[in-house]
Amino acid sequence: MDSFTAITLAVFLPFILAGILPVVEKLLKNRIGWYAAAVAFLSLVLVAQVAPTVIHGESIQGSITWIPSLGIDLSFYGDGLSVMFGIIVSTIGIIIMSYSNGYMSKREDLPRYYQQLLFFMGSMLGMVFSANLIQLFIFWELTSITSFMLIGYWRNRPMSVYGATKSLLITATGGLFMLAGFLVLHAITGTFDIPTILHSESMIEFIKGHELFLLALILIFIGAASKSAQGPFYVWLPNAMEAPTPVSAFLHSATMVKAGIYLVARIHPIFSGTDAWFILVSGVGIITMIMAGFLAFRQTDIKGILAYSTISQLAYLMTMYGYTTLHHPGIGVAAATFHLLNHATFKASLFLVAGIVAHETATRDITKMGGLRKEMPITFILATIGALAMAGIPPLNGFLSKEMFYEASYEMGHLLGGPFTYLIPALAVLGGVLTFAYSIKLIDGIFLGKRPSHGLPEHIHDPGWTMIIPTAFLAVLIILFGFVPSIPSHYIVQPATESILLEPVDLHVQLWHGFTPALMMTIATFILGILIYTRYDSIAAWQNRFNSRHPMLSVNYLYDATVDNAKNVTFGFSSRMQPGNIKTYVIALLLLMIALFMIPVVFLTADIIPSTLNFDIPLYEGILFLFMIIAGLGAALLPRYVPAIISLSGLGYLVSLLFIYLSAPDLALTQILVETLSTIIFLLAIVKIPQKFREHVTPAVLTRDLLIASAVALTVFVLLINATQGIVAPFESLSHYFIENSLPLAGGHNIVNVIIVDFRGYDTLGEISVLCLAAFGVYNLIHSRGEEE
Amino acid sequence: MTTTITKTVTKICLPLVILFSISLLLAGHNNPGGGFIGGVMFASVIALTYVVFGLDYIKSFFDPDWGKWFAFGLILASLTAFAAIPFGHNFFRSAVEFVHLPFFGEVELVSAGLFDIGVYFVVIGSLLFIFKNVGDDE
Repeated sequence: MDSFTAITLAVFLPFILAGILPVVEKLLKNRIGWYAAAVAFLSLVLVAQVAPTVIHGESIQGSITWIPSLGIDLSFYGDGLSVMFGIIVSTIGIIIMSYSNGYMSKREDLPRYYQQLLFFMGSMLGMVFSANLIQLFIFWELTSITSFMLIGYWRNRPMSVYGATKSLLITATGGLFMLAGFLVLHAITGTFDIPTILHSESMIEFIKGHELFLLALILIFIGAASKSAQGPFYVWLPNAMEAPTPVSAFLHSATMVKAGIYLVARIHPIFSGTDAWFILVSGVGIITMIMAGFLAFRQTDIKGILAYSTISQLAYLMTMYGYTTLHHPGIGVAAATFHLLNHATFKASLFLVAGIVAHETATRDITKMGGLRKEMPITFILATIGALAMAGIPPLNGFLSKEMFYEASYEMGHLLGGPFTYLIPALAVLGGVLTFAYSIKLIDGIFLGKRPSHGLPEHIHDPGWTMIIPTAFLAVLIILFGFVPSIPSHYIVQPATESILLEPVDLHVQLWHGFTPALMMTIATFILGILIYTRYDSIAAWQNRFNSRHPMLSVNYLYDATVDNAKNVTFGFSSRMQPGNIKTYVIALLLLMIALFMIPVVFLTADIIPSTLNFDIPLYEGILFLFMIIAGLGAALLPRYVPAIISLSGLGYLVSLLFIYLSAPDLALTQILVETLSTIIFLLAIVKIPQKFREHVTPAVLTRDLLIASAVALTVFVLLINATQGIVAPFESLSHYFIENSLPLAGGHNIVNVIIVDFRGYDTLGEISVLCLAAFGVYNLIHSRGEEE
Repeated sequence: MTTTITKTVTKICLPLVILFSISLLLAGHNNPGGGFIGGVMFASVIALTYVVFGLDYIKSFFDPDWGKWFAFGLILASLTAFAAIPFGHNFFRSAVEFVHLPFFGEVELVSAGLFDIGVYFVVIGSLLFIFKNVGDDE
């Protein structure tokens, strides 16, 4: 199988295989989690097929024509960076879906759960392999939508709904900014194709010198920051913790929130090496890193601590990707890429541990826990490995990448010089110190100390193997990457770094490399971290006091106020726009129609009634018109519903007779059928309502209605008279194209039908989809009517 | 509306109209007709039987899930649109083939015809789905 097919299958198989999940459920019952894990495994195998090519420093590319007229193809591009993400996504996917077998109760709606997880996995893989900015945007928003569904998985919990809405509003809005950024980029370069831009140095130079450079950068960065919960956009991530814990581990720590980081890494060659990149990316990163690390202290929910820690760790990555100077464009890239991989392992394992603890103790409140090490020894060990890796303790993998982070910060500080020489390393150490403190808190708060006398179940024990083994697998990776860093660095991190820096990189990661400044910074981190940890509770208490004293000084307050305000405004608007009286709607629509047609006709046409009119009507047509007028009058004037409707449908049949006379059999046939069907529907409906018109109409209302009706009739008359004059100069008739090409291109003699099913088949597909939606709409209208009361 | 005359006429019409609707569907590519018209015709005659004999009576022996019909139609139409991609053509590219069959002689097979069958099922399914739900409503 060639690489392009492998990637295409890896992206689309999760969607297809998730589609048949309801069928699989009939066979496997509540063991479908293993099926989902197998799908993830299949994706991993397919992505791994591509890996050897990428490790050799090559990239692969291929495309399927999609919308050629807009230059948009379904195209995939695989290089070190995307393959690294592909491996992370599918591996963590296997782990999460296996773990869910133990975590999710059999009473839950399992097909929906696994279907959405697989949809997410497919979208994420599609996103990282996209070679096209528009396609990247589509998959990007798909991950936002699947994340929304998974956060709101427990639909009847208000907090789930709140968290889901918040995440969708923030990330999808950010995505729109990103799309605007892509369009600006397209305006500069004239292409949506990512490899074309990346592999052309002259184009990158041109972008950097362009006046729209800053605008494109800011717009795209807003998208990345909102997805990765950076800067003020962080607020959605803590609320996203309402999702089932495996989902939080998968989406909100290991993969989806890294989409923003992926984007920053992807556009790194285009935008880095400029002051704007450093100030924006590193600036936002450093502020977020310290703020989120600090705010983590206040959290009492285990998942809350992990959420803030994720924000802070993502900010590390942002900061490192942001380190750049004109001559050294990618100082922190290798460190960031390695830390990205490590963070996926230790943070996912910590989330899984949090899931185990919550599953066994039925609470996530860290203040109610303590001393669980004796009852859950295996969980304790796994948690310790994860937390120590996060704190950066040697010889675990977190230590290695934290060292590289310090090294990069030190280098960056020295390259900038001046006050930055010490400021940047100091801020980096501060971020590390905070991380150290809350990592220790996780172990200490849950497993060490004394078991509280009440609030916990009597018998707590380690969970079953389905939950232990996936977590343990991650713990093994943490240790393995720590002791033998050459495996991940050579096979995964180095190709990824090369594809960001676009030049060969020789990466050597070692546990011990002498007394470097980075080692000093690490030692300082441990000392300060222990000092801060002794003051942990008083810092948290101070934060709580501050928060209750200044409730309006928070991003959450701003978000809630904005959303509430928007709700009120839209509610007021829609209740004014939709008073409920059908007559009002019809009048508004008709008046609009009159205005839309008459204004251009009156102002743009020389003579409203063309002088070339031919009033020479054959006798047959004349008789037909006479009958039509009688039928129309009958429909308007007859006092009962049934005769009025019969009269109206008689009018319709007469029109179809006219069509036949004018040799338009297709139209006549359609007219007859639609007329028949609507008559039947009318008759069905009037059985249920009084048989006489009851409404009393005042003369004033009658005059108004008559005036409107006459105006509409006049408009239609003028419109038809003008339309039958043929096509006016600047426009050309299209019909000769269809007449000439219907037979040779589509093999059909019936041009109308060929247009519907072939030339404009896309339109028809849209129309029949609308028809299905209309059917669902009617169903909902009828069946949801009684629920309000 | 439930007089003996209408009942008798409906009974005679039903099979004829259904056959005619299928012939309209198949003739569509070269003669007046097509999936939309055929579908509306099919839906009208079923709707007519609903009105004449009463929805409950018809449902007691003939009660398909019309939702499945339009789902099938939409899937069929989308699949024919996608079918061109594995052959290396654009989305929605159609193919024409002339086949010689015994008894029928030269028969023209068009992939757009499959698409039209999809349209046919969507029209029947969604119209009758709406119809039945409105009719069922108390």
